[in-house]
Amino acid sequence: MGSPIPDAHKPDMPAEQITMTYHDGTSRTVYDTGIERPYPDGKLIVSRTNLDGIITHVNDAFIEISGYHVDELIGQQHYILRHPDMPKAAYKDLWSTAESGQKWHGYVKNLCKDGSHYWVYATVVPNVRRGETVGYTSVRRKPSRSKIEAAMTQYAQMKQDEEC
Amino acid sequence: MTTHNMLIAPDFSPDRFAGWHMFNTLIQKRANLNMHLNIPASHAEQEQVISAGDIQIIYANPFDAATLIREQGYRAIARPIGKSDEMVIAAAANSAISRLEDIQAGATVAMADNRDVKLIGLRLLEAVDIEASDLNWDVTETYQAAARKVIKGEAQVAFFLAEIFHSFSRLTKTQLSVLIESDLADISHVLLVKEDFPDAPIFLEAILSLHNDDDGKEALAELGMPQGFEPMSEEDAEFMIDLMQTLLD
Ligand SMILES: Cc1cc2nc3c(=O)[nH]c(=O)nc-3n(C[C@H](O)[C@H](O)[C@H](O)COP(=O)(O)O)c2cc1C
Repeated sequence: MGSPIPDAHKPDMPAEQITMTYHDGTSRTVYDTGIERPYPDGKLIVSRTNLDGIITHVNDAFIEISGYHVDELIGQQHYILRHPDMPKAAYKDLWSTAESGQKWHGYVKNLCKDGSHYWVYATVVPNVRRGETVGYTSVRRKPSRSKIEAAMTQYAQMKQDEEC
Repeated sequence: MTTHNMLIAPDFSPDRFAGWHMFNTLIQKRANLNMHLNIPASHAEQEQVISAGDIQIIYANPFDAATLIREQGYRAIARPIGKSDEMVIAAAANSAISRLEDIQAGATVAMADNRDVKLIGLRLLEAVDIEASDLNWDVTETYQAAARKVIKGEAQVAFFLAEIFHSFSRLTKTQLSVLIESDLADISHVLLVKEDFPDAPIFLEAILSLHNDDDGKEALAELGMPQGFEPMSEEDAEFMIDLMQTLLD
């Protein structure tokens, strides 16, 4: 078991309350206000993790959009951003691709500290140093509306299948 | 004394030529090295010169740095401070294109021959569902020529290296409207040395101390790098390459 991330703050606006349970068995309460934050134009949102998915580096764009302070991110599991609408299979694919040494691309809906969310097109690459993978880097770009809509439909279907 | 070869990637503004010569003169004097400055006219010429061998130092653009480091035996030692490689997409100020969303499939893009600018520009256009195959390319001799093409309506948009765009005259800039400027921040040109270059430490010392006196400051100002260079570790370079890997597709 990892060290659990504290429950999210209940936002002032109407929000759905959800209990998330992560792969390491920890759980926490999060809120989903349904409010979307626009992707910052022209920027890349960058983070790095160690082999276990613990955040080791975030750039300014990451901090700004997620709404967390840098100290609340470094040392935490990257699932701190996991949005309840995301299907498990998407991350399973991410991890199996990255662990096999390949590059992964996909559309991701991330949850901000205040219960809002943002969509990204993410790429994850293994950090290979002298032949050994020492961590992973993820770089996100701005996705088009049409791609976001297609991902929303696909993920809703995948979630439904996971729940059956 | 042996002469070392230093190569400067050709993708800089023509105004910077004098700066590179000043830089070379100062470094030779201060590091007590004989250096020959190579400034290829094109990317193709750069590749030719490097593959012919005998280039000890390269001021490389970030995408070339990836190959030079991972496949050709160079290592990064320094990079300019606060000078990341950015690009601008612009249309004519009087055209119907005022946002990225207004660019239609079939549009013509004018740009000088620079694959980094093209790659980053295409990444930014993904957000409005425009891909490389949706566009026609009009490759111009210089960025100034690309600006003229859009202003005259011969191309709908142009891609620019941001630094060059910002160096245009006020008159040129008022005739253009910026649709987007990248702010990738972590990607910059890098100074590489061949792994077995024996004089790397004195060379690096001379580079890092350039901004400490007036002559050095003048050369750096001419190069558009007023803050000078900072050391770059192997891990800094590897991180930058990992970042760029994510942008390739
Ligand atoms: C480099 C890297 C970046 C990641 N970025 C995110 C992210 O932005 N949002 C997210 O929910 N998960 C991200 N993940 C995946 C998480 O580690 C985790 O697998 C996911 O949130 C699902 O968590 P869970 O299976 O514990 O519920 C990333 C993983 C890596 C390796």
